[in-house]
Amino acid sequence: MADNMEGDHTDLMDFEHENFGEEEDLATGCSNADSGFDAVIGHIEDIIMEDDFQRLQNNFQEKYYQEFEDTEENKFIYTDIHREYVELVEKFLSEEISKRIPDFSMEEFLRALETKEGDCELDGEIFDLLRTFSDFLKFKEFMLDYREEKEGRTIDLSDGIMVTPVHNGDLLMEGAGLSLMGHGFGKH
Amino acid sequence: MGLLTILKKMKQKEKEVRLLMLGLDNAGKTTILKKFNGEDIDMISPTLGFNIKTLEHRGFKLNVWDVGGQKSLRSYWRNYFESTDGLVWVVDSADRMRLADCKRELHSLLVEERLAGATLLVFANKQDLPGALTSEEIRQSLDLDSIKTHHWLIQDCSAVTGDHLLEGIDWIIDDIASRIFTMD
Repeated sequence: MADNMEGDHTDLMDFEHENFGEEEDLATGCSNADSGFDAVIGHIEDIIMEDDFQRLQNNFQEKYYQEFEDTEENKFIYTDIHREYVELVEKFLSEEISKRIPDFSMEEFLRALETKEGDCELDGEIFDLLRTFSDFLKFKEFMLDYREEKEGRTIDLSDGIMVTPVHNGDLLMEGAGLSLMGHGFGKH
Repeated sequence: MGLLTILKKMKQKEKEVRLLMLGLDNAGKTTILKKFNGEDIDMISPTLGFNIKTLEHRGFKLNVWDVGGQKSLRSYWRNYFESTDGLVWVVDSADRMRLADCKRELHSLLVEERLAGATLLVFANKQDLPGALTSEEIRQSLDLDSIKTHHWLIQDCSAVTGDHLLEGIDWIIDDIASRIFTMD
């Protein structure tokens, strides 16, 4: 079973062979002419599911989340941060595809993409997902969610400190209280 | 230009229109945005950054960007030009002192390449104030008749009462739609 998956994208990498497997899907009217194009899309789907991409996103959120406030009005700096994010994701995708398709050319791929404008192929889930990266309001939400997550955790930690039994009249020798505190910090 | 940027520029099936609302500070941009969206307009303070609203109107998805108009903020406007279908220029019709300023800023936008394809709607706002100039007077003061590069219309309105906001927005949508959605 695993072998089947493995071979999935590897055989159709060269999207210059545009005539390979050319046929029209009568049900949808979509052209399946470009298997190389589809292979690239397949790789993009894989890449954004992988841990490396999650890490890239988390590192970015960590770097900037404190700039974001949950208010209706936006600060100008959000626009700069969003631009940096879009460039980062674009660069990452481009590099990762190149690792998988050695002779990959992003310019060529983008040209192929533009000739497909209006084509039903571009309405798939993967394209919706890719569009969310460049959507400002979605980006703001993405940063605010992270902030909420971070600050939610901080509150949990202080709760942990409050229950330390040192203050309860029991003796300082109660090492459990101290270690509970230490444990809380260590976790964070 | 990278993958995400290219994808963003491609029009989707959904009829999406991007409007950029600019003008001098205190012209009433944010009030127009909120009023049009049916929100409370009592407590609006000067915009120091920008606001975005996504509104459904007549089957269109309107993305309206409202950017602060204070002098020190105007250099940021350029960051929001990209992909703009319509420019909404808001004028405080009672602010006679700054009409020359207002004219200069407007005309400097019209030579911007990234706004070249945009339709221009001028809102002669604050018609509810005594001493407000008429849209005809604003039209002359801003020398709108010299504009040959953009489709334009001037619409008198009052953001506070909501008068004629809809007429202006409907016109700009119609103009944009006739340019970019005729393919289907």
